[in-house]
Amino acid sequence: MPHTPDDAPPPSFRITLMKVMAVQVVTLIVLWWLQARFDV
Amino acid sequence: MHPINWVIIVGYILYVMIDGIRRSKDTDSVEGYFLANKSLPGWAVGLSVMATQLSAVTMIGTTGQGATDGLRFVQFYFGLPVAMVILGVTLVPFLHGSNVYTAYEYLERRFDARTRSLTSFLFLLSRGMSAGAIIAAPAVVFSAVFGWPLTWSVAVIGVPTILYTMLGGVQAVTWADVKQMVLIVFSLVAIVGVLLFKMPVSPDEALHIAGATGRLQIFDFSFNLTETYTFWTGVLGGTFLMLSYFGTDQSQVQRYLAARSVNEARSSLLISAYWKIPLQALVLLVGVLVFVYYQFTAPPLLYNPAHEAAVEAEQGAEYAQLQQQYRATFDLREAAAREAASADDASAAMSNFLAREAEIQELRGQALTMAEEVTGEASRDVNYIIPRFVLSELPIGFSGIFVAAILAAAMSSISSELNSLSTVSVIDFYRRWFKPEASDAHYLRVSKWTTAFWGAFACFVATYAATLGSLIEVVNRFGSFFYGSILGVFLLAMAPKGKATGAFFGLIAGMGVVAAVTFGAPQISFLWHNLVGAVTVLVVGMALSLFGRDEAG
Repeated sequence: MPHTPDDAPPPSFRITLMKVMAVQVVTLIVLWWLQARFDV
Repeated sequence: MHPINWVIIVGYILYVMIDGIRRSKDTDSVEGYFLANKSLPGWAVGLSVMATQLSAVTMIGTTGQGATDGLRFVQFYFGLPVAMVILGVTLVPFLHGSNVYTAYEYLERRFDARTRSLTSFLFLLSRGMSAGAIIAAPAVVFSAVFGWPLTWSVAVIGVPTILYTMLGGVQAVTWADVKQMVLIVFSLVAIVGVLLFKMPVSPDEALHIAGATGRLQIFDFSFNLTETYTFWTGVLGGTFLMLSYFGTDQSQVQRYLAARSVNEARSSLLISAYWKIPLQALVLLVGVLVFVYYQFTAPPLLYNPAHEAAVEAEQGAEYAQLQQQYRATFDLREAAAREAASADDASAAMSNFLAREAEIQELRGQALTMAEEVTGEASRDVNYIIPRFVLSELPIGFSGIFVAAILAAAMSSISSELNSLSTVSVIDFYRRWFKPEASDAHYLRVSKWTTAFWGAFACFVATYAATLGSLIEVVNRFGSFFYGSILGVFLLAMAPKGKATGAFFGLIAGMGVVAAVTFGAPQISFLWHNLVGAVTVLVVGMALSLFGRDEAG
């Protein structure tokens, strides 16, 4: 059996991963803004 | 409910059933039935993954939680994107490339048959029971709200799902999940739109009221092992929970095993990575807005209509008096809320509003105590907030859409559970131990009947959920012992030096340590258990692999 991934992520997938992390950062910023703006 | 709403609900059930049965034509082999011949596009698998995780409990319970507790539950999902990325580069290529039907089948190829059988048995035990619990949760609410016997509610949810899952296999499950996910998101967006439209204050003022009651308090950065909803629990504990669930639970693994390539399988998980946190925030926001809406429109004192009727019958006079007090206090709170929303000096008005809100909560607490005394059961009133709102406040058509969406959420989770339970039963047990050399047609027939069996079993558990309550709880608790430990076995499988004896005894050690933590320090949040289990298996498993005599693997 293989012990390492036999199909390494292609470069496009790495770009997708960067996009995922960027979207998460934006999501967290929006949630943070919601809390800071309205939480009394 | 208006007949148009019923037409929408019945139309939805018929459509899902007919579409599912139509797909049975494409299912003429075991690989087609369980893996769709590895032909499904990543986006469809991705929506199926999301629909499987989003159950009726999310639509009823989590929205209710948003109304009572606000948005902080969203922290629970902060580890999910990280987990999806890790799985995309580790377990997904391993499992998809191994051409297996189940995640546990891979463990035999990598380690030995006993590790495969133990992990698949643990899966059957926990998921068999949880399939029943997934039907029971909405069925109990439907029965209380519509006044049906519980068996009817169980049948309305269970029978169509069993039919399309049994006949159409993973094709029917996945494509039904896609439509169900669309319906769910549409209904959530629609309900937010209706709430904002009907609210007597502006969205900005509504959010200020929600914020004043702490319902927009999202982030908690305290490092507290006993608290489930903190930033760190979500990011660290949540990552391990999501790794365990999406990486080793067959009900999820089977979704992406059916993808047409490794890349499509990876992409399918990234759809959750992108959308899960915003979706969960939307679900909770529905609850928060319903809470604000009920500042201006009097909600019932008890949301559970069955409990309300029981209290009225048993303690009518006391309850009527409490209701009178409640109405008077509500009027005061409504005036305070309007003033707080529009006042120039917001702090004084807001303090007055919060004082009135505390009085309302006090009265509600008294009503809940009465309900618990009269019925002898926990009130779980939070699960009835949204159903009562949907049925009494939404315009014609919208109520039907939302009830159909609750059904969709329940069906999409149950169908994946049944499909995976059948796969594990047939592939990991029947074909592995009892009848290894039968024809494909034989396995296909057995698979369909096994799906029907698990469906009937789930309906049975759901019907007797009240009686079996403690048993379900025990199994769920037992399930938490091995979730992280199974993840540890898969992580060990990726380590070149991991060996069979290390995996098997590491798994047992991991479960033992989690059990010890659960009983020895019960106040520690369950989210940490997965991390403890996975790390124990890795440490014990690797030690046994390096220093033991086992040459296998």
